[in-house]
Amino acid sequence: MSGNRASHKPRLQHAWLHVFLVLFSIVAIYPVLWVFTVAFSGQQNLAFVELPPDPGFFDRFRAILPWPSTFSLQNFTDVLTQQPFLRWMLNSAIVAGLTTVLGVFLACTAAYAFSRFNFPGRRAGMMSFLVSQMFPGTLLLVPIYIIITQWLGLGNSFIGLVLVYSVTAIPFCVWMLKGYFDTIPIEIEESAIMDGASRQMIFFRIILPLAKPAVAVTALFSFMTAWNEFILAATFLEEETRYTAPVGLKFFVGGFASQWGYFAAGSIIISIPVVVLFLYLQKYLVSGLTAGGVKG
Amino acid sequence: MRIIAGSAHFEDAAAVAERAAQRPALLQPAAIGALLAAALVLTLGWWFASQARVERAEDAWNRAVIMQLMALGEAAAALEGRDGATSEAALQQLLLELDSGDGYFRVVRLSGSRLLASTASGDRDDSAAPRRLSRDEKWLFDLGQALRAAVETNVSEGVFRRRQMHIELLGDERARITLPFFVAGRVAGIVQAERPRDLGVERPSMWLPVAGALAAWLAIGGLLALGRRRGRMPDPAGRHWGLLAAGAVVLAGVTWGHATLEIGALANWQAELNQGLAARFETLREDVGFLAGVASVSVDPGPGNRWDVDLYQRELGLIRGDGRIQSEAVAADIAARAAGLYKAMLGNFALGIILLAFFTLGAATRTGRALRSNRHAYMYVLPAMFGMLVLVFFPFIYGIALSFTDQTVMNVSEPITEVFVGLANYAQILGDFEVFRSTAAGAVINYQNFYWTLFITVCWTTTNVFVGVSLGMTLALMLNTRGLRFTNLYRVLLILPWAIPNYITALIWKGMFHQQFGVINQGVQMLGGEPVAWFDGVFSAFMTGLITNGWLSFPFMMVVILGGLQSISQDMYEAATIDGASKWQQFWQITLPSLKPTIVPAVIISVVWTFNMFNVIYLVSGGEPAGANEILITKAYKIAFEEYRYGYAAAYSVVIFMILLVYGVFQTRVTRATEATTT
Repeated sequence: MSGNRASHKPRLQHAWLHVFLVLFSIVAIYPVLWVFTVAFSGQQNLAFVELPPDPGFFDRFRAILPWPSTFSLQNFTDVLTQQPFLRWMLNSAIVAGLTTVLGVFLACTAAYAFSRFNFPGRRAGMMSFLVSQMFPGTLLLVPIYIIITQWLGLGNSFIGLVLVYSVTAIPFCVWMLKGYFDTIPIEIEESAIMDGASRQMIFFRIILPLAKPAVAVTALFSFMTAWNEFILAATFLEEETRYTAPVGLKFFVGGFASQWGYFAAGSIIISIPVVVLFLYLQKYLVSGLTAGGVKG
Repeated sequence: MRIIAGSAHFEDAAAVAERAAQRPALLQPAAIGALLAAALVLTLGWWFASQARVERAEDAWNRAVIMQLMALGEAAAALEGRDGATSEAALQQLLLELDSGDGYFRVVRLSGSRLLASTASGDRDDSAAPRRLSRDEKWLFDLGQALRAAVETNVSEGVFRRRQMHIELLGDERARITLPFFVAGRVAGIVQAERPRDLGVERPSMWLPVAGALAAWLAIGGLLALGRRRGRMPDPAGRHWGLLAAGAVVLAGVTWGHATLEIGALANWQAELNQGLAARFETLREDVGFLAGVASVSVDPGPGNRWDVDLYQRELGLIRGDGRIQSEAVAADIAARAAGLYKAMLGNFALGIILLAFFTLGAATRTGRALRSNRHAYMYVLPAMFGMLVLVFFPFIYGIALSFTDQTVMNVSEPITEVFVGLANYAQILGDFEVFRSTAAGAVINYQNFYWTLFITVCWTTTNVFVGVSLGMTLALMLNTRGLRFTNLYRVLLILPWAIPNYITALIWKGMFHQQFGVINQGVQMLGGEPVAWFDGVFSAFMTGLITNGWLSFPFMMVVILGGLQSISQDMYEAATIDGASKWQQFWQITLPSLKPTIVPAVIISVVWTFNMFNVIYLVSGGEPAGANEILITKAYKIAFEEYRYGYAAAYSVVIFMILLVYGVFQTRVTRATEATTT
C-alpha cells in the first residue's frame, strides 16, 4: 500500500528525503569546507573570524560558517616557497613512483606465475600471501625497523620505505591481478607458443598489454598507498628534509606547532590528486574488497 | 583454484621429455651430496671456530679494560671524602699514568654531576677536569643513572639480571666501556674508557676444511666403489640407506677430527690470553701503587681479585689478587667454553646429515627436476616471494622470537639468546588484572592495564561499526529511492570523506575539536553550552575518535549497501505490496535478508579495519587523557617507539595477532553459515 502512496505523492516524500540528504551532505563536506576556509584565510589561525568580547548567537554562527573573513592565497604561496613542503611533495612523489614501479613488477610476475603455471608450492604460496594479510602491522613494524635500520642500514632513506611499501602491497595486488589474468584465455598464449614466442615475449608482449586495465588499477592502488602512508614514514624518516608529505603535514600541527594555515593549504595540494583518483577508482576497490565474501 | 589447475596450465615440453627419459640415478647424487655435506660441515665448523676466537679475544680485550676501570673506580672511591684538591690532582695523575695515549679515561661523580678527572682531548685548558658536566655531556650523567638503576634492580631482586656495565662499539675500530664505582655500597659515579679495539685474532687456517672435505669425499667415493664392485643389491631402497649410513660414518669422523683440532687450538689460545692478562694486571698494580705515596691511599684488588670481573661485576676468579693464574679455574672456563663450540659442531653435523640424506635418498634429484621443469614459474614467482620472505615472513617470525626477550633500544645489538626472558612479557601483559587501583582518593582506573585497553578497543570497534552500518544503511536506503533526483550529486558528496587520505581527516578533526578556537566548541557555545575540553575526559576523548571515524567510515558502508540494494529484484517488493505487506515489513522480510550476503563481509572487513585504525586514535586524541583512550595497536606502537621496549611491544603485538586470529576463525564460521543459509 505504501508503494501506491509513494506514486501518489512522490514530491512530498522526496522533499523530506532531500532535507535529510542535504543535511547529511553538509555534515559530510563540512570538514572539507573547513580546510578550504583555513587555507584561504591567509592566517595560521583555527578561528575563522575575530570574535567580539561578548559574542552573541550570530557572532558564534559567523564563527562556524566556513567562509574566511579575508581571502588570501598567502598560505599556498608560503607553504610552497617558505616551507620545505615542495621538497616533501617531491620526496613523496619519488617514494610513491618507485613503489609503483617495483610493486607492479613484483605483483605482475608473481600473479602471472600463479595464474598460468601449475607448480609444486603454488597453493602454499598463494595461501601464505593470504595469511600474511592477517599479521598485525605493529608486530612486523619492530622487526622491519630493526632489519631496515640496523641490518641493512637503510634508516632515513627512501629505498627502505620503497622496499617495505612495495612488498607489503604484494598480496593484495597479486590476488587482484591473478583474478584478471585468469580471465585471459590461455589459447592466446598457446598459439603464440606455436608461433615460436618465448615465455618472456608472451608475458611482456601479450599478457601485460591485454591486462592493461588491471595493471593500471594495481599501479594506481600502489601509488595511493605509498602517497598516503603515514606510520612507517613517520617511524623511519628522521631528517626534516627527508620527510614525505604526510609526515610533513603532521609536522605543521603536531606537538607544539600550530601552523594550521600551512597544514590546510598543504592538505588541499596533497589531497586533490588522490581524491580525483579515488573517485575514479572506487568501483574497482569496492568490488575487489568485497568480492571474496559475496557469492556471485 | 582447482578449476584452473585442471585445464589452464601447461608445462615445458622439455620437462615432459625429461620425465620420460628419467633413470634411477643413485651414485651421482650421493657423491655430490657427500662432497657438499663435508664442505658444509667443515666450512661452518671453521666459521664457528673463528667466531669463537674472536669472542675470546673480545672478552680478553674487555677484561683488560675492565680491570683498569675497576682499579680506577676503587681509587676514585678511596679518594672521595679526602681533601678535595690533592685527591683530584692524584686522580688526574692516575688517569695519565694509565693512559696509553690512544684513547681516554673519564671519572664522573653523579651527585653534583661532576667530571672528576679526564684525559679526553676535549677536556683540556678551559674545560679541564675537575668541573661540572656541560649540557652536551648530559649523556654521561644519563648513562650513570642507567647503570645505577641496573645495580639497584640487581640488588633489590637478589639476582644478577641486568648488566652492571655498558660496552659500546664505536665503529669497527673503537670501543667504549663504562662502569659504576661504589662508595659505601652505593653507586657514586662512573668510570669510562675509550680505546681502539685491536683484537689481533688469527683466524684458523682454511686449508684444513678444504683438505678434509676432499679426503672425506675420497673416502666416501672409495666406499661407493667397493659397494659397486660387490654387484647389485637386490633392494634399491636398501642401497639408498646403506649409502647414507656409510656417508654418515665418514662425516662423523671428519666432524670429530675437526672439532678436536679446533678446540685444542682454542684452549691454547685462551691460556695464552690469560697469561697476557696476568701480565697486564701486574703492570696495573704497579701503576696504581704510586697513589700510596701521593695521597696515602692504597688500592688493592684483594685476595680474590675484585678487579677482574664479568659484565655483572662479579669476580671471575681466573687471576688471583697476587697476580698468579688460578689454573683450575682457567681450565674449567676453557672446558665450559669448549662445550659451546662442541655443541655448534654437533649442530653442523646434523645439518650435514640432513644434506647428505637429501641427496642420497633422491629428494635432491626430485627437487632439482621440479625446479628445472618449472623453472619459468619459479623465476616469475621468485622476486615477489623473496621480498615477502625478507620483509614479511621473516619479520613475523623474528617478531615472535622478540616477544620472548626483553630487548630494548639499549641492548638491540645483543643476540636474542642473551636477552631471553621466556614468557615474562606475556605474564606481565596478560597476568596483570589490576585494572582498578585503590588509592587514598578511592579506586582509580589503571589506564596502562592491558584489559582496560582491550575494553576500550572493543568499545571502539563495536560503536564504530554500529555507527558506520546504521548511517550507511540509512543513506543507502534514501539514495535508493526510485525517482529521487540529484542522487549522483549526493553520492559524490557523501563519498568524499572516504576519498580524503585519513591522516588528513584525522588532523582536520583534531583542529575542529580544539578547545578554544575549534569550530565544534563555537557551535556548542552558539547553542548556549559551555566549551568542552574534548581531550581531557575519557568519554569526550573517546567521542572525538568515534565522531571522526564515524565520519570516515560511513561512505564505505553506504556504497556497499547501495550496491546490494540495487541488485534486489523489484518483483519481490511488488509481490509483497500485493500481499499487503507494509513498508516496515518489507524492510525486515525482504531488504535485510537480501542484503545479508553484502553486509556480512563488509562488516567483517570493517571490524578489522576499525580494530587496526591507527591513524584516527594516534592523530586525533593521541590516546589522551593519560593513555586512557589508547587502542591496542596504538598502545603497541607507543611501547615500541616511545618507550623503546621492543621485546615487550612484540609480545603485545603477538597478543593482538592472537585476538585477530580468533576473530578470523570466528568470521569464517559466520561466513560459511551465511553462505549456507543464502544458497
